[in-house]
Amino acid sequence: MKRILADVTAFGRQYLRSRVGTFFALAFPVILILLFGSIFSQSATPQVPLYVQDKDGTPTSQAFVLALNKTTLIAYRAMPPDVDFVGYIHDHSINVALQIPLGFQDDVNRSRTDRNTTTANVTLAGDQSQSSYGIAASAVGAVATEFNFRLANAGPVIGIKTIPVSVRQLKYIDLFLPGIIGFTVLTTPMFGMTSICAEYRTRRFFKLLATTKLSKAEWLAAKVGFYVLLLFLSVAIMMLVGVVVFGMQATLTPLAVLLIIAGTFEFTSLGMVLGIFVRDPGTGEALANAIGFPMMFLAGSFFPIDAMPSFLQTIARGLPLTYINEGLRASMVFGNEGTALTYLLVTLGFAVVFFVVGTRGLSWKSK
Amino acid sequence: MAPRDVRAARDVGVGEHVIEVRSLVKRYPDITAVDGIDFDVNRGEVFSLLGPNGAGKTTTVEILEGLRDPTAGQARVLGEDVRSGYRRIRERVGVLPQDFEPFDRLRPREAVGYWASLFDHAVSEEDVASIIETVGLADRANTFALNLSGGEKRRLGIAMALVGQPELLFLDEPTTGLDPGARRELWTLIGDLKRKGRTILLTTHYLDEAEQLADDVAIMNHGKIVAHGSPSALISQFGGGTTIVLAGAGRGGYEALVARGIVAELRGIDVLVHVPMASQVRPMLAKLASIEIPLTEIFTKRSTLEDVFLKLVGARMEEGVLAA
Repeated sequence: MKRILADVTAFGRQYLRSRVGTFFALAFPVILILLFGSIFSQSATPQVPLYVQDKDGTPTSQAFVLALNKTTLIAYRAMPPDVDFVGYIHDHSINVALQIPLGFQDDVNRSRTDRNTTTANVTLAGDQSQSSYGIAASAVGAVATEFNFRLANAGPVIGIKTIPVSVRQLKYIDLFLPGIIGFTVLTTPMFGMTSICAEYRTRRFFKLLATTKLSKAEWLAAKVGFYVLLLFLSVAIMMLVGVVVFGMQATLTPLAVLLIIAGTFEFTSLGMVLGIFVRDPGTGEALANAIGFPMMFLAGSFFPIDAMPSFLQTIARGLPLTYINEGLRASMVFGNEGTALTYLLVTLGFAVVFFVVGTRGLSWKSK
Repeated sequence: MAPRDVRAARDVGVGEHVIEVRSLVKRYPDITAVDGIDFDVNRGEVFSLLGPNGAGKTTTVEILEGLRDPTAGQARVLGEDVRSGYRRIRERVGVLPQDFEPFDRLRPREAVGYWASLFDHAVSEEDVASIIETVGLADRANTFALNLSGGEKRRLGIAMALVGQPELLFLDEPTTGLDPGARRELWTLIGDLKRKGRTILLTTHYLDEAEQLADDVAIMNHGKIVAHGSPSALISQFGGGTTIVLAGAGRGGYEALVARGIVAELRGIDVLVHVPMASQVRPMLAKLASIEIPLTEIFTKRSTLEDVFLKLVGARMEEGVLAA
């Protein structure tokens, strides 16, 4: 135990004196939270700018525009009534625009008495491949339907009743932060250990250590110990930023703490497993990137796994990071401790396998 | 845990074999790095494995340190077989590996304390300071290793090797790559350790280093020991006595000597006359003085390990280093 503590202290001193390591462990996750949190936390659904050319300028056309604004799906932008509609769209690189034609109010009034021959039409123009077009089309369609009901003196037959399923009122950051914690649990120890193994091999530190009483298992345990401390510091900073800047409500539960410890154990050990194959810092970096980057995207650190195609979801179920991300969300956000416990056990299983393979496979000696 | 003077132990155990190597072989698919060597290292002596790069010195030392497994033969360190007793051996030896590099962002004071902990040695701040003082790094004890000079880094390596009060020190090419000043300083340090009774196994490809520091030298080439003995014994056995140098005598001087039946060698513009027996030096000098030869200087030169090498290994010197 004394040797492990000595190695934690010595390694920690070196690590924290390296600005690059400290930046990626402590500052980089915070930058990601600030960046993604700012982009996605402004509202539940982003508003689409809709350019409206009201050539009619009557109370009816203005009521239509007002109703559109009330949907909160679109942000109203006025287009001058006297310009060429299509030309203006091209000249101003507009994604989606609506034209209310001259005589709109008259057509509406005529259609009330002569429903079979007269309709009042608006024109929606834009790039139909863009999601913003779809959102605008939905908003315009909903307003038109509402107008039709009123003109026909009718109302909707089928309504929608909503029931919130989460205990708390969730924000984007509540779902995002566990993913970023998972991302940090993956990158900091795994990339770090792969790089350390490469450096220790090329600079013959492994041979030097082999002349001491420190065993490989003790050395790896010391690294796990240090990374656990480092990641708790990192998680504390992330939580603080989440709460203070974005009003996050997700909480660090005891199971989440255990998942972070188990995940650190797992990915520190995986880094040592990769170290078996690493001969120099260049190959170490390439190998860590090749394994780490696909995993962080496929395992749901940034995007929910349920949104992926089914074959990618199958792959994700085989990745160790998936169980940390999903376990953290289950415990921190949904309070689903049963699922979190299952994923904790899966993570520990991966960790033990990686630990055994890493300590047995990595040789400090020469052949 | 102040570094103790181990002279007492040396006095008790003089002649005791600290290392015993018998028919040691290390074979790789494409080369036999160590080819059936035998030697002993006595307690309290500096034993040098001397040879050009690729001779098998480091492979031999790493087998003795427990870092490589031998293919055949036997090696015992401090009475323990290196294969079965590796864990017990490493508590009693200190190692400075070849091309030693310290941990960049640790200070010497921290590195020595850390290393002591890895051997379960309880060391106080005073003990660490004492070890650092021993290797002459007291004024650099709080400098990051990153900022130490090459010689200071090797000193730090020796300090780390000394933390367990080892009975035996392995110094694998400790001065390779250092400037002449730093080399001389390390020689002084190794000389001090030797005077304190440490047993040291030193590998080097510097002839002057072995001659200066070693009590016993084994010359290795192509995995074999081609000669073994004290530097003076090797020189007298293989070095060929004394050489009289007629500096600047040139071809004319050479031909004048040959014409009088004197065996000489023309090397550049100098003429060398080899005298195998010390008793023949004075008569030969008198004989040469009687011959009219234009020269700038005349002096005698005792044979060195370089001459032994030229004879035994056929190696040549490049800036004081043996070339394979």
